[in-house]
Amino acid sequence: MQCEQFEQLLEQQDDGALPEPALAHLEECHACRALSADFGAIHDLALELGAEGIAPAERVWVTLRNRLEAEGLIHGAQEPPRSAGHASDGWWAVFQRPAIAGSFLGLVLAAAAMVSYWSNFPQTAVHSQLAFQQSTSAVPSADNVFKEEILTVGSDSIPGLQRQDTAVTASLRRNLQIVDNFIAICEKSVREQPDNQMAREYLYGAYQQKAELLATAMNRSMTGGLQ
Amino acid sequence: MNASCIGVRVGALGAVMAGFILAASPAHADRVEKHFPVQKKPKITVRNSSGRIQVKAWTKSEVLVAWTNKSGKTAVETEQAGNRVEVATQANEDGISAEDSKTDFEITVPVESELSVRTDSGNVTVDSVHGDMTFDTVGANLQLSDVDGYMVVKTIDGSLVCTRCSGKLESNSISGNVQMISPTLDSVRVQTSSGNILFDGSFLSRGIYIMKNFSGTIEVHFSSSDSFDVNATSLKGDVINQASFKPDTHGSPHPASKWGHSLFGTLNEGHAKVELSSFSGTIKILKRD
Repeated sequence: MQCEQFEQLLEQQDDGALPEPALAHLEECHACRALSADFGAIHDLALELGAEGIAPAERVWVTLRNRLEAEGLIHGAQEPPRSAGHASDGWWAVFQRPAIAGSFLGLVLAAAAMVSYWSNFPQTAVHSQLAFQQSTSAVPSADNVFKEEILTVGSDSIPGLQRQDTAVTASLRRNLQIVDNFIAICEKSVREQPDNQMAREYLYGAYQQKAELLATAMNRSMTGGLQ
Repeated sequence: MNASCIGVRVGALGAVMAGFILAASPAHADRVEKHFPVQKKPKITVRNSSGRIQVKAWTKSEVLVAWTNKSGKTAVETEQAGNRVEVATQANEDGISAEDSKTDFEITVPVESELSVRTDSGNVTVDSVHGDMTFDTVGANLQLSDVDGYMVVKTIDGSLVCTRCSGKLESNSISGNVQMISPTLDSVRVQTSSGNILFDGSFLSRGIYIMKNFSGTIEVHFSSSDSFDVNATSLKGDVINQASFKPDTHGSPHPASKWGHSLFGTLNEGHAKVELSSFSGTIKILKRD
């Protein structure tokens, strides 16, 4: 079995055990072992997210952060940025690995889904939205993490936004700006009209769109836009 | 000098001239063709970063892929496994410009074919192909004509013009416009953030048509014989309506929203379902002449 076949199998696999040829390949391929471990971690995190209800436990985020820091893919929040131009290199590095990037996007979408879930409970949602920027809770809510860690990803930190193809780069940047503007407008609407279900749905949609746009930019970067 | 000698000289001169002409034209600008014999309903996958992609149909059981890369800095890799044909461009060196990576494709496929196209920039046109299709582009505009199948389109700011399309359409874009001209689609799910949406055609019985944007205009054209339920809401924009709707008698009553402008109603029997939604854009429900 080749690595590419193994990756496809891994993506399609549910919870069942891997078939014999895949296990044999796993034994002899270090890269695929690492990939499999990443998938396992994502799977476990997803289960924990599902089990925790609305706000994932802090340990979920801590586990994820520790794992990424241990792999040297991100740096602690206390570490000062090396330079203005490289302030987000940690996040950029994260996105260089498909499995980890996938993990983050999964969390982004999970967070967005939670925002959507909240939309069915206006009062809870009002509280969470109003607390968006001033939360002092020890347990970070999904939308706070989403806001702080993903929505604030600057355009310079996405490799797809630094490609040679200036037209494509400009398009990605321009549309990232459009989506950011929509998010800001939707947030304002939700703050002003907390029980406006439609505004909340648009906010959720804008979150999703940003996640998908970032995924597209990263994906184009990883494959050089050609494969 | 005899005639045969003159003939040899002229021939030699011609050969030299031809050599000059060939040397003057960059060899890499040549059009390259590859033929792939296939059985019924092949699946063709195209991956290109930049350049025009034209797909058209013919009656032969063969896929013809022709391409041109002016710079010669991009290679085209092809692969066939039975009914699966894959075409992908690959840069020969790192850091080449968009212009150098530009590769134009002309692809001819059997009428019944499945397509999967991914490209960043450059226009994509598909004509008279029947089969499921997916398109994933960044800035490339997409023109589909006389196609039939389940079409899934994802663009960042590329526009989609779907002319006489049949089947089902799902389209998602951030700033691209979407136009459906004379469609016979029974399922439409179109979403764009800042782009405009135009639906100019008939709503088929039992069809479901969902069109949503953030800003921009959503415009649907209806004829008096059309039969559909409509639910149109713009949170911060206007809803302009030229239809004489009667109250929707099919579902639960629609309470008037206290936010934005809403319109609910039924035209004729209400066989189709039309949902139009915008955050700040204008929704227009206009009568076709």
